[in-house]
Amino acid sequence: MAKRLSSQKLLKNNVLDAQLCTGCGACVSLCPYQAIYNDRTVQLHYCDLTDGKCHAYCPRTPTDFESLRELLFDTKDLTPEIGAVKAYYLTRAADSEIRSVAQHGGTVTALMELALNEGMIDAAIVSSGNQEYLRYGTVAADKNTLCKNAGVKFTVSPMAAAFNQFTRHEKGNAGVVAAPCQALALAKMKLNQDKNEAKRINQLQFVIGLYCGWALSAEKFSELLAKKYIRMDAIRRMDIPAGKNILELHTANGIREIPLDEAQACTREACNYCIDSTAEYADVSVGAARFAGTTEEQRGWNQLIVRTRKGIELIDLAAKKGFLEIKDAPQESLRDLKKAALEKKKTALANITRKSGSAKNLLYLDNRDVLLRRILGV
Amino acid sequence: MKQLLAKDPTNIVITGVGGQGNVMASRVLAGMLVDKGFYVTIGETFGMSQRGGSVMSHLRVSQKSAWSPQIPLGQADIIVALEPSEALRVLSRWGNPDVAVLSNNRVVYPIGVITGDYDYPDEDKIKNIFAKLTAKSWMIDATSVAMEMGNPVLSNIVMIGALAKTALLPIDRHAFEKEINKNVAADKRNANLAAFDAGAKMV
Amino acid sequence: MGNEAIARGALEAGVNVAAAYPGTPSSEVIENLAAVAKERNLYVEWSTNEKVAVEVAAAASFSGLRSMCVMKQNGVNVASDFLLHLTASGTRGGIVLVSCEDPGALSSVNEGESRYFARMLEMPLLEPADFQEAKDLTKWAFELSEKIHNIVMLRSVTRMSHASGNVVCGKLPNKIPQARFVYDGPLTDPLTGPVISTPVGLKHKLQQEKLKTAGKLFEKSPFNKYFGPPKPQFLIVTSSACFLYSREALSMLNLQKRVGILKLGCTWPLPEKLLKKYLRLTKNIMIVEEVLPFMEENIKVLAASYPKEIGVKSFYGKIDGTFPSVGELNPDVVAEALAKIMKVKYKTLPASYAQELRKVAAVIPPRDQTFCPGCPHRASFWNINAALKLDGREGFVCGDIGCYAMAALTPAIGFHTVRTLHSMGSGTGLASGFAKLDMFGFEKPVLSVCGDSTFYHAVIPALINAQHNKADITFIVLDNAGTAMTGFQPHPGLTMSAVGETVPAVDIGKICAAIGAKVEVSDPFDLETTTKKLNALLEEKGNPKVLILKQICALSPEKKGKKQYEVKVNEELCLGEDCGCNRLCTRIFRCPALTWDKAKKKAVVDEVICAGCGFCAAICPQGAIIKKEVVAS
Repeated sequence: MAKRLSSQKLLKNNVLDAQLCTGCGACVSLCPYQAIYNDRTVQLHYCDLTDGKCHAYCPRTPTDFESLRELLFDTKDLTPEIGAVKAYYLTRAADSEIRSVAQHGGTVTALMELALNEGMIDAAIVSSGNQEYLRYGTVAADKNTLCKNAGVKFTVSPMAAAFNQFTRHEKGNAGVVAAPCQALALAKMKLNQDKNEAKRINQLQFVIGLYCGWALSAEKFSELLAKKYIRMDAIRRMDIPAGKNILELHTANGIREIPLDEAQACTREACNYCIDSTAEYADVSVGAARFAGTTEEQRGWNQLIVRTRKGIELIDLAAKKGFLEIKDAPQESLRDLKKAALEKKKTALANITRKSGSAKNLLYLDNRDVLLRRILGV
Repeated sequence: MKQLLAKDPTNIVITGVGGQGNVMASRVLAGMLVDKGFYVTIGETFGMSQRGGSVMSHLRVSQKSAWSPQIPLGQADIIVALEPSEALRVLSRWGNPDVAVLSNNRVVYPIGVITGDYDYPDEDKIKNIFAKLTAKSWMIDATSVAMEMGNPVLSNIVMIGALAKTALLPIDRHAFEKEINKNVAADKRNANLAAFDAGAKMV
Repeated sequence: MGNEAIARGALEAGVNVAAAYPGTPSSEVIENLAAVAKERNLYVEWSTNEKVAVEVAAAASFSGLRSMCVMKQNGVNVASDFLLHLTASGTRGGIVLVSCEDPGALSSVNEGESRYFARMLEMPLLEPADFQEAKDLTKWAFELSEKIHNIVMLRSVTRMSHASGNVVCGKLPNKIPQARFVYDGPLTDPLTGPVISTPVGLKHKLQQEKLKTAGKLFEKSPFNKYFGPPKPQFLIVTSSACFLYSREALSMLNLQKRVGILKLGCTWPLPEKLLKKYLRLTKNIMIVEEVLPFMEENIKVLAASYPKEIGVKSFYGKIDGTFPSVGELNPDVVAEALAKIMKVKYKTLPASYAQELRKVAAVIPPRDQTFCPGCPHRASFWNINAALKLDGREGFVCGDIGCYAMAALTPAIGFHTVRTLHSMGSGTGLASGFAKLDMFGFEKPVLSVCGDSTFYHAVIPALINAQHNKADITFIVLDNAGTAMTGFQPHPGLTMSAVGETVPAVDIGKICAAIGAKVEVSDPFDLETTTKKLNALLEEKGNPKVLILKQICALSPEKKGKKQYEVKVNEELCLGEDCGCNRLCTRIFRCPALTWDKAKKKAVVDEVICAGCGFCAAICPQGAIIKKEVVAS
C-alpha cells in the first residue's frame, strides 16, 4: 500500500505549488512548521503528520460543502449564486466619524464597534498594514484602532492566521473581518474542530465577510510600483472610483493613478480559481453598494447580506442601538449582484477546468456538489 | 616484581560517547599500567568523531613489546563502556566468548533514537546479551553515583574504580593515587579518589 | 602520544622555533612545545595558516636556527607553493616539516596524501613506525636537514599521532644559539648569499644532489630495518603504522618464521641498495602502506631498473587490488590479505558466536555525529534555515571547514542548508562565483559560512574577490571565539598567543568593513533578531553582506560545565507528537540533550548532557521548554 502523503506535503503539492494559495493564513500559527512572510506561505521544516489541521482548514483543499452549509445555514436560504441569504439591505454607519474614514458606508467598522461595546467580543480582528503595505491582521479593541484600519485593502491580509495567533495567546471572544477565502477557512475550522481545538474555535463569535473580486499579489504589485517610482510605504489608501478603470493610490504627495488593467495584471494567481465573490461562508457579508452596478450616489452606502442567525442577531442589535442606518435594497440590485457573482463563478470554473485539464477535475471543488452542478448547468 | 597478565597482550577497549571522559579514562589506566612496568599502546579516535559520536580507545598491555594501536576484531579481553549501547557496538566487533564487559548503565541517546528512526535496546535486553555472549559482565550506575558527587564527568573514574575491583588487571587504589598525583590538579584529587572508591564498591 | 614523542624529538634536537596551524591529528605537537616554550627558550606560534607557518620556520632556518612547522595533510597543500621555492633555495639551520595525515578521514573531509609532495618537491621523507621512532626520527630529521641544507618532511598518521606507547627519552641540549642571517655572499652560494630559488638551473641541480646525499645516508639508517628469517618465503615492505599492523598480522597467522618484514623509516628517496638486498630474498613482495600506492610505485620502478640483479617479482599491494586504495588499514585487513595469499586460516571465532554477534550488531542504533548540546552552530543553522525559507528564493549555503562542516556531512543537523564543502576558505570563493552566474539565469541567493579561525586562514582573499567583483553574497562568520574543532587553539581574533602571552586581536568585523562589505553582528541564540537581520541582508542587493554570529563554543574552557540556564520540559504543556508541534525539538531540532520519552510521549531534557544554552526554549511552539537562569553561587 502506498504511504499516505503528509498533510504538509499535500498542501505543498496541491495548494502552494499549484498556485492556489490565497494567503489566508489558516495553516499558519497552528504549529511551528508553517509561516507567512511577505505574502507567501512558507514551510519551514518537514512535518510528517497525515491528519494535520493545516490541510483541514485550508480553503483550497477539498471541502465537504454540504455538511458545511448544513452546519451554518438554513437550507431554505441557499442560492446557487451568492450562498445563503436571510436578508439583503443597504446600510451605512450611523456615526459620521466612521463614515469619514470608511471606503464606503463604514458598515464593517460600525458593526465591530457595536460588538465591542456590547461585550459580544473582546477583540475585533481586522486587516491592517505594516509599513510596506504587506498586510497582517490587527487586533482592535477600541474604535480608534478600528478607524485607523478602516478602508479597503487590495492586497491580502492573512486573517485566518491572525485569528489563530489570537486564540493561541488570548482567551477572549473575537469577531473577524474576512475575505471570501478567509471566511471559508474559518468556517472549515468549525466543521473540522476536534476536542483540542473546540475551545479555541468557539472563541470565534462571528465573521463579517467582504465582497471580493480579486486581490493583488504583494510581490507583483510591489514590482509594478517600483517601476512607477511609488513607494509602498507612502500609500495611505487605495480606491477604484466607479466607472473610471483606474486604481487610485492616495499618498502623502497626492493621488497617483494606475490603469486598472495594469493593476489587475498583478492579481494573485489563486484569485482566478475562486468562485466566491460575496464571502458566502460569513455570518454577514458587506460590499460596496455600487458593486452590483448602482450609481455613484450609492457610494456612501454598503450592501449587506445577512446569512446566519448570528448575523440576524448582530444586525437587529445594530438597528436597535442605532449603530447602523438600514434601508431595503432595490430588487434590481440583488439581481445584478447575483448576475455578477454567477459570472465570476463561471469564469473561475472555466479557469479551474483549464488548469486541471478536465471538466471532471475541479481541483479543490467537487463536481458532485449540488449547488455547483446547478451552476455548471448539469 | 611485576605482576603477571592473564594474557599477553591484554586487549582493553574503553568506549563511550564524546564528552564522557573516555580519553582521560584510557590515559589514567595506561599510566597505572606503565608505572607497573608494562608496555602499553593506546589507539584513540577523537577529533570530529568526538562531536556526539562514538569514541573508543584501544589499550594493548604487554610484558614484552609495543603492539598495534588497533586491536584485531574479535580479540578484546576487557571492554569498559561509559554508555551501554557503545558496549554492544564494541562487543559486536571485538567480542569473543572469553571477553569481560564492564558497562555503565546510563544511556546517552543517539540522535537517530531521539528522532524516532531507531529503537534503543532496553537494559534487560542488553544484560541478556552480556550474559549470553561474555565470560563476565557487570552493569553499574556510575553516572548516578558521579552526579551524587556533584559532577557526572567523574563517571569515568567511577568505572576505573570498578575495573580495579574486578581484578581483571593488576591495578589497585595505590596505583591510581600515584597516577592522579602525577597528572591531576591538586584540588581535584580528592574528588577523583572518592569516585574511584565509590566505583570499587559497585562490583 | 605520538605527537608528544614528535615534540620531544624536536626538543632533544634543540629546536628553537616552531610554527603551525591547528588541524587534527597534528595539533598536540605545538601544544606540547608551547607548554615548555618558556622553560626551553623556544619561540612557538599558531600561525594564520600553514603556508605562513612554513615561512616563519624557514626564516629561523635561514638564520641558522633549528625550526619546525606542523600541519595536517591539507596544510601541506596550502604550504606547497612556498615549499616548492624553499626546496629550491635550500635551507640552513635544520628545518623539519611535520605532516600528520588522516587515512580513513577519521577527522577530515578527505584522506589526501602528502607523501607525493616529497617526490614532487624533491625533498626527503621520513616515516616513524612506532612511538620511540616518532621521537628518534624527528630528532634525526633535524640532523639530516642540516647535513643536506634542505627541509625534511616527517610524515605521521592518526594511528601514530593519536596513539600512545612507551618511549625512552634522551637528553635535552643546553645551548641558546644566536640568530644570524648571512646574505652578503654571491647569488650562487646558497649558504652565504641571498636565499632565493634562482639561478634555477644551478639551484635545481643542487637540490637533486642534496636528495642523492639523503638517499646515501638512508642506506645506513637504523630506521630501515629487516625483521624475519634470513630466507623468507615472502617479504612485506612497509612503513609507518602499517609496520605495526603487518607485525601483528604475522603473529595472528603465526607466520613469523616464513614471512619477513622490511620496515622503512626513510621512504623518499628510497635506499636503493638496501632494497635490492632484501628484494633479492624472495619472489613475492607485498607492500603495505596507507593510502595510495606511493611506495609501491617507487619500488616497482626500482625493481624494473634491476631485473638482472634482483630477479622478476610478483608484487601484492594496492595496484593489483590486494589492498584497497581507500581508507585506513588495520591488522585484520593485512592478516586477511596475507592469509589468502599464504593459504592459511585466519578467523578464530566460533561460527555460532560470530552469528550471535551479527545479531547484536543489528539491534544497535547508529550514533551519527552531531553538534554538541549548547552548540551555537545548531542555532546559527536554525536561523539560516528560517531566513532562507522565509526568503523563498531557494537560497543555499556554501560550507567550509570546522565543526560546522558537519552541517554538510550530516545534512539534517544543518537543516539541509549547506550544499558544498571543500577546503579552508573555499565556501566564500565558491559563493563569489555562484553570485556572478546571474547573467546565465542563476538567481538563487548564495550564502557562505566560515568559522573565526578559518576566516583568517583563507577567507579574506575570497571576500575581497567578492567585494571587488560585486558578487552579491551573504557571508556568515560563525564566530565561536576559538579554533573549536581542534581544541581551542588561539587565533588572530583573540588576545592570547600560543604560549599565553597577551597579543593584539585582529577584528573580523573591522576587516570586513574595511574591505567595503556591509557588516552586521548578532547572537545566534537570539532567534528573532538574527533571522530578521539575515532576511534584511538577503533582500539587500549588490555587494557582499556580512553577518557575524557571535557566541562562544559550548566546550570552550569559559563555558564548559557552567550552565547559563536550568532547562526543563513542562509535561502538561508539551504537545508531543500532536498536530501543532509533532516533536519539533526531538524530530527536527535534534539537540542530543533533548530526548523523547516514548512511554509518556513527551520531550525530556537530559540534565547530564544539557549545556544550559536555553535556545530550545525559543523554538518550542507551546512554551513548554522552561529555562531558568542559573545564579552563580
